[in-house]
Amino acid sequence: MDIAYVSELAVNGALTGLLYSLFALGLVLIYKSSSVPNLAQGALTMLAAYVVLALSRQLGFPLWLAIAVTTIIMFLAGFGVEKVTLRRMAGRPIVMILMMTLGLDIFIRGSTLAVWGGTSRSMELGVSYDPLFLGPLLLSRINLAGACVAIALFVAFLLFFRTRRGIRLRAISDDYVASWSIGISVEHGVALSWGMASVVAVASAVIWGEIQGVDQSLSQLLLKGLTVAVLGGLDSIVGAILAGIVLGVIENVGSSYLDLVVGGGSRDLIVAAVLIFTVMLRPHGLFGRHDIERV
Amino acid sequence: MNSVEVLYNSVMLAIKGVSIEVPYGGMVALLGSNGAGKSTTLKAISGLLSAERGKVSRGEIRFDGRVIGDNPPQQRVGLGICHVIEGRRVFEHLTPDENLEAAAPMSLSRTRVASEKARIYDYFPRLAERKSSLAGYLSGGEQQMLAIGRALMTQPRLLMLDEPSLGLAPFLVAEIFEIIKRINRDHGLSVLLVEQNALAALDIVSRGYLIENGRVVMHDTAERLKANSDIQEFYLGGSQAKSFHDIKHYRRRKRWLS
Repeated sequence: MDIAYVSELAVNGALTGLLYSLFALGLVLIYKSSSVPNLAQGALTMLAAYVVLALSRQLGFPLWLAIAVTTIIMFLAGFGVEKVTLRRMAGRPIVMILMMTLGLDIFIRGSTLAVWGGTSRSMELGVSYDPLFLGPLLLSRINLAGACVAIALFVAFLLFFRTRRGIRLRAISDDYVASWSIGISVEHGVALSWGMASVVAVASAVIWGEIQGVDQSLSQLLLKGLTVAVLGGLDSIVGAILAGIVLGVIENVGSSYLDLVVGGGSRDLIVAAVLIFTVMLRPHGLFGRHDIERV
Repeated sequence: MNSVEVLYNSVMLAIKGVSIEVPYGGMVALLGSNGAGKSTTLKAISGLLSAERGKVSRGEIRFDGRVIGDNPPQQRVGLGICHVIEGRRVFEHLTPDENLEAAAPMSLSRTRVASEKARIYDYFPRLAERKSSLAGYLSGGEQQMLAIGRALMTQPRLLMLDEPSLGLAPFLVAEIFEIIKRINRDHGLSVLLVEQNALAALDIVSRGYLIENGRVVMHDTAERLKANSDIQEFYLGGSQAKSFHDIKHYRRRKRWLS
């Protein structure tokens, strides 16, 4: 065991982990306002990646413009999805709403497969693949760039939740009847959080699309994102960031040793184990809020 | 509101033709026992019935001469109706300061919000002391003050309070009622107060309605209600012991009244 090797694994794991956090941020935003884990977040991310590609390849937009336009499109799409499908589910049992997001997931995956087919495309972001050395550590440029984007978004959202509009969203997640009683439009707030989650999906779509190519497997990020969100406590942005880093490091370091034993493919095992143990041992995650009980 | 009926789940008739009126700047109490329909009446006015699959099936609700039966709750708050719902229901994971901020209309400027907050801390100095701890950790009385303060942030003209005295020590009830009275006096705010604690309520209001089984069975000024023998016996914790015969007598009277 070599310290430099392990720390290189850990740092790269942490960078990848921040990208999981970026994905998980979308889940957290929706959970914060409506207490629903959005199972369609992976499909939304994939859809965003395809829209970026369609705009830049088929319509010939420059990439930055394609990303900007996709952000607007996805914000409206998220807003609309909530309005059309979930608005009428308000007050229904949570399991029904969960099934609705699952249905959305299957629907979006099916339609992207029908429209764009199953072949993998590349995002061609133009980030160089030359090795980047930080002291003795070899880092991936795209992961580093992605991690910076992720951190910028986290800071933006943390600040947003201190504004009046952000406080109102937090109020909705606390008690929606009380929110209605003081004139907060709960419907509007939930739709807004869907729109914001879809914008986050664009960011993670561009970066993940660059890392692993744009195809159906992009929607599988849901598993890792969900694990990060659950570990972080589902409704905590700070929790999602730290949980992402923790998961990334465990996954990268752990799998490089476990792979030698089991002969590869242990990454998903580690992720699954983290999810299972979190739910068993600490269901409210690292930073999830407890319900306050007064005595 | 005029002969309003409310249906829950399209089957259960919770209030059956209740008519009440709150004058500008007046304070009115709605009294009655558990399940009489008091809270339902308030929810019909604030529009929060829809959160519980209830709806107004008959009658009309007017505010300022305007029929508001079809407006969603957030519009009614915009018009100036604010409902402090039962059980305090503060935003527990927000600080008192953020609770107040959340209730400020989006149209209010930042300086106005600050001055409104200062006004509320002035009414409730206890809240100012604890404005940055989580609201979930406040005491029951402080939470009730916060719930009222939060409602005041919406700039209401009609404040509806659902059982503000529930589970609070008598001295706190007195303190809160004193503040409500002060706000009513200072700003000409109309108040509709729902209470089981009839004694405390009748001390501060000018008129009262008594609801039983979804119907208004009595309506009078606070003094006359306090003097009424039935009210004294059943809602103010009657003075002399009575035999069960007389309860039968009361039943008979009730039927006649409704």
